[in-house]
Amino acid sequence: MDLQALKRQESKRKISKGYMWALFCAVFWGIWYLPGTVIWVLNPFDEMYGLLAGKEGEAVSLVVTAVLITAFNALTVMLALMLWNGVLGKYGELVRTLKEFNPCSKWFFLASIFGGPIAILGSFMAMGFIGGAFAAVAALLYPVIGSVLAYYWYGEKISKRAALGILVIILGGITIFGGGLVTELAVGDVPWIGYLGGLMAAAGWGIEGAIAGKGLDISEPDVGLTLRFVGENIIWWIILVPLLAIVGYPMYSFALQAFEPLTLLVLIFAGITFGFCYVCWYKSFPLIGVGRGQGIGNLYGLCAIIFIFLFFGDVPEWTILLGGALCVLGSFIMFTEEPSELETLRGE
Amino acid sequence: MAKNRPIKFRILELFLDKKEHWNYEIVSKIQEEYALKGNYNRDSINFDIIELASGGMLKDVEQRVDEEGIYKKGFLLHKYVITDFGKVRGSDACLRYI
Repeated sequence: MDLQALKRQESKRKISKGYMWALFCAVFWGIWYLPGTVIWVLNPFDEMYGLLAGKEGEAVSLVVTAVLITAFNALTVMLALMLWNGVLGKYGELVRTLKEFNPCSKWFFLASIFGGPIAILGSFMAMGFIGGAFAAVAALLYPVIGSVLAYYWYGEKISKRAALGILVIILGGITIFGGGLVTELAVGDVPWIGYLGGLMAAAGWGIEGAIAGKGLDISEPDVGLTLRFVGENIIWWIILVPLLAIVGYPMYSFALQAFEPLTLLVLIFAGITFGFCYVCWYKSFPLIGVGRGQGIGNLYGLCAIIFIFLFFGDVPEWTILLGGALCVLGSFIMFTEEPSELETLRGE
Repeated sequence: MAKNRPIKFRILELFLDKKEHWNYEIVSKIQEEYALKGNYNRDSINFDIIELASGGMLKDVEQRVDEEGIYKKGFLLHKYVITDFGKVRGSDACLRYI
């Protein structure tokens, strides 16, 4: 076979594999909203919510319960990724990367601050107070935050096309948030904490991506992502959960009750889907480019709505459907630039 | 030399001599240095090089068909050179300690 034919064959293989990884990411990410929603009605979390709501009010109760759920989510994601690294034989590389604190692993720990206590906690708050479809679609605003940050921090250019995409995504965001608000303001009962959670998810993931990128481009993503979740576990289990326990919330007694078969099963399901959506996402980037990888990955918003409909029979508000469609359209406009344009976007 | 440092650091360091290198040269050097035997590790290291290239740190400058089976018979061999961005990231990561 001649050189040109081989080149075509190689690039075709790369592209089809890349799209496959990105689609897997969207499916895993979308499925994650199922266990994320179900966990709220399972013991011990529903009991914890009920108990604290009676004593401290619904808002405090929701946030404290969300902390414990997010902490368990981080734990099962880390276990799933550790298993994955074991299968790949990458423990050696894991230790080597962890030791490089200054050039590399500090970025993962920094990213975990924004990813965990802001983005994932916010997602669980939005799922608990408003619903899975809203939580999924609200987070679609993250590329806007990410590209604005990249512009200010490392002078990454925002092309006209990307700016147009950002505009469409923002319109989608206004539809998603505004649509619900209008009806709720009329009734006079607005779940502000759920909306705050939605905004936290978008802002947190945008910031996380911008920071984690600094470490991920010089490390192996399988390893880097695991370290990012090691960082999140330190934040939850060594800092925040003990802190809340000291303040007087019954964190440990409820944490111990989580070891029930059904609850554990749902938590493990959340860990596997969330862990592997990150892995698939990063596997797609070198094959089809970060832009296309993120564009396809953002189809998770639609996947989440479909899975929630299939499993729970919930049809979301038309504003969420329209807003979600606008966000996905915007991310396609933003990310599907010609490769020649993309190559010059970075560094030079 | 960056022994026992993450594999991508070492790959960037090898390219910091600003010369062009074929992927099979780099892959076999890393396999030897890190004692990573077998085809699975070979492909995994090659994927690291592809990731560095897609991150804009290496540039694919030449390809030829592997006729002799020097790496993978009948597949493409790639020659890479470090970019300006790669030099910055590479020296951030590697040279700070030397």
